[in-house]
Amino acid sequence: MRGAGGWIRTYGALIRNAWLVDLQYRASIGLWMLWGVTEPAIALGIWWAIAGAGPVGGYARGDFARYFFALMLVNQLTIAWDSWYLDRWIREGDLNFRLARPLNPIHEAIADNVAYKARSGVVIVAVWLLVAAVWPAVRMPFDPARWALTILAVLLAGLMRFFISFATGLLAFWTTRATAIMELHAGVSMFLAGRIAPLALLPPAVAGVAGVFWFRYMLAFPVDLLTGAVHGGAAVQRGFAGQIVWVAVWFGAYRLAWSRGIRRYGAVGG
Amino acid sequence: MTTGGRGTGEGGRVRRSLQVLAALWRLNVAEELQYRANFFASVLGTLFGIGTALLTLALFFRHTTRLGGWDYWEVVVLLGVFNALTGLIEAVLRPGIGELASDVRSGHLDLVLSRPVDAQAFVSFRRLDIWRLTDVALGLGLAAYALYRLGHVPSALAIATFIVAFASAAVVVYAIWVVLMSLAFWLVAVENLAVLFDALYEGARYPVSAYPGALRFLFVYLVPIAWTTTIPASVITGRVGPGIGLAAVAVAVAAFALARLLWKLALKRYTGASG
Repeated sequence: MRGAGGWIRTYGALIRNAWLVDLQYRASIGLWMLWGVTEPAIALGIWWAIAGAGPVGGYARGDFARYFFALMLVNQLTIAWDSWYLDRWIREGDLNFRLARPLNPIHEAIADNVAYKARSGVVIVAVWLLVAAVWPAVRMPFDPARWALTILAVLLAGLMRFFISFATGLLAFWTTRATAIMELHAGVSMFLAGRIAPLALLPPAVAGVAGVFWFRYMLAFPVDLLTGAVHGGAAVQRGFAGQIVWVAVWFGAYRLAWSRGIRRYGAVGG
Repeated sequence: MTTGGRGTGEGGRVRRSLQVLAALWRLNVAEELQYRANFFASVLGTLFGIGTALLTLALFFRHTTRLGGWDYWEVVVLLGVFNALTGLIEAVLRPGIGELASDVRSGHLDLVLSRPVDAQAFVSFRRLDIWRLTDVALGLGLAAYALYRLGHVPSALAIATFIVAFASAAVVVYAIWVVLMSLAFWLVAVENLAVLFDALYEGARYPVSAYPGALRFLFVYLVPIAWTTTIPASVITGRVGPGIGLAAVAVAVAAFALARLLWKLALKRYTGASG
């Protein structure tokens, strides 16, 4: 077994490796980021036009600007592409040499995510600061305590979306349409995770569904925490409780899919 | 370059390019017909996409009665045009010219260039995913239904102008693909150039009048996204007169000429580098 020092060395090497691979593909990563911010930018444009006649559901133009800028940042920091990688690893057999290593492949995936998000998160924060210099609407009030809570919520949301993506990708052991299931999830999360509008603007019943399932906690909750839409001890605690529960559920789903899937995969290959 | 055999000069070249493409498409169709399950997957995917787009519109219209001066069913007409164009893109352009970046990187393009056909035409139209053409039918069907809900019956002239504007839109979309994918000759390491198109095309989901001034200027004059969906939808809903058809054709011709010019430049660079 590895001690703490061993794990730090392992992760150090994995993250350094992922960082250097990303460096080769920095132009591609730039394009993915551009694509990632287009949807919120278009949504902001539309809501900006609608809010021209006056605030919508309590959201004025500036509130929309802050909401969607926060969304771009939190989305970039929590997005996980792992189901696409896993689908390819499983279909094309790249999983084999990863299984031969004395390390669960999930650690490589986690390290990839850390390196990717560190790089792209810095870019988004830098762009945000530049935009904020000329456009006061997207400036956030200075509130270190709220920011600290947001960092924690972003970490939990990132973990959750990682396990969702990883567990769904593992469905490739059984079906060739694992990525289609992930697309379906992305379509539903457009509304329920707050990608197209703040949850407060959804019909109350739909927003309620988002809060019962994981959708609110994977994106909308950290965004609302950052913009200040969630306030008061009780609401914040409920949000974190929801995050912890759904991280645990999706971690369980990953463990189940992994142990069952590997057994099936070994049986086919052996 | 002169050609031997039956045709000579440019005319023979065009005819032969068409023959080659027709043969390739027959092959593609025969291949795709083996995988009929893909048809259902494709239709389900399209219906899901249209469904989420309609729900998004419903959400916007919960809080407003007009979007950039358009009411709900007018925007749905535009959404139908958007889906029809998406069908053309997914059936022909993405599997064809969308693969240019990887062809440049792998050197597979050399094989294309050595063929006695026009390289741009071959690269652009070499594949046909027929199942995605159902998107064209579904999109136009959606637009027709929205017109019915509007209670608007377009005149014969408006329909003719719409056909011209829609064809122009297809040419503009094609030109944007050629321009973006030609960047592959300069940015060899970038494999996901098609993402640039997807990012731009997101802007075509809504009428350009809904966007703030700077973005609107960009979409009308610099990256002619406005001419892909807003103009055809405006024509068929009677927001603009048939005169706009001429402008649409002019924009399409200009966009195509620019794209062709850039393609030639890019190809010169490519043959220069490898030769």
